Amino acid sequence: MKLLKCPVNGERPLSEFVFGGEVREMPDPNTCSDQEWAAYVHYRNGAPGMKKEWWYHGPSGTWFIAERDTMLDEVARTYLYGQEEKQ
Amino acid sequence: MTTAPQQTPVASAQQRLSPKMTVAHGMEIPLEFSSAEIEHKRKVNLGVCDVSCFPRFGVKGRNVVQWLQENKVDIPEPNSWVQQGESLVLRLGNGEFLVEDQFEGKLCAALDEAVMPEAYGVYKIRRNDAALMLSGSHVQELFSEICAIDLRDGALLPGKLVMTQMAGISATVLRQKFNGEDVFRIWCDGTYGSYLWDTLLEIAEESGGGAVGLSCYYKEML
Repeated sequence: MKLLKCPVNGERPLSEFVFGGEVREMPDPNTCSDQEWAAYVHYRNGAPGMKKEWWYHGPSGTWFIAERDTMLDEVARTYLYGQEEKQ
Repeated sequence: MTTAPQQTPVASAQQRLSPKMTVAHGMEIPLEFSSAEIEHKRKVNLGVCDVSCFPRFGVKGRNVVQWLQENKVDIPEPNSWVQQGESLVLRLGNGEFLVEDQFEGKLCAALDEAVMPEAYGVYKIRRNDAALMLSGSHVQELFSEICAIDLRDGALLPGKLVMTQMAGISATVLRQKFNGEDVFRIWCDGTYGSYLWDTLLEIAEESGGGAVGLSCYYKEML
């Protein structure tokens, strides 16, 4: 059974989680160029490597960030949004 | 004008068992499914009791801890619970709380009437949980079939609660003393209540357990 560590609830089976996509900074739509906006909306980085991803623990309704190596499928750490420094 | 009592979220699954019903806290709830002797045997092995009639109050938000403290509510640690009088105060994660009154408790009504200033960062949550109570010597065997989390005494410590999946649905679980008896409490979304009830009963019946009514825990209701 694969396990993932929720920062609030601890280690749980992966079946309790939902993947929420890569963490991506949204450019300011009022100031960015059309090219930058189009890239944000349409492009995704599929190259394997260490990525920051959104994950959701369903039973507790907790969104958090996991830093995961998508090549090895190994999670380096997980933390709540805005609490990166505390980890 | 009189108001018709609410139905328990588990009502549709309970109908086939033809229980004797009562009304508690404005909700129709099974009092007895069978004779007291049979229900006692079930409870000793693995009794499943519907206690959805207990009043509940949900609240969350940025300032929820401060607001509850102002209203004289004891604040447990995240993913823990405390008993305040005859009420349970559950802290679900960091900023969400579930309060449940167990018959004589009055905390939910007091909180429901308490002033909640706008733009204060506190939001009421309407709860429609199916609330169940499990007890008996085979309860851990049941959990091992429907849950991936270790809920034995050494793992689920007193005062701690667990939010996990049971039989594929999200549920909150804790262990408490209820009228002097060790019981497990389960809360899940009311719309899954009948499914969870049927699933629990199917397993409980294999162990000589089954459905028990409120009278198993509240003799005075008979």
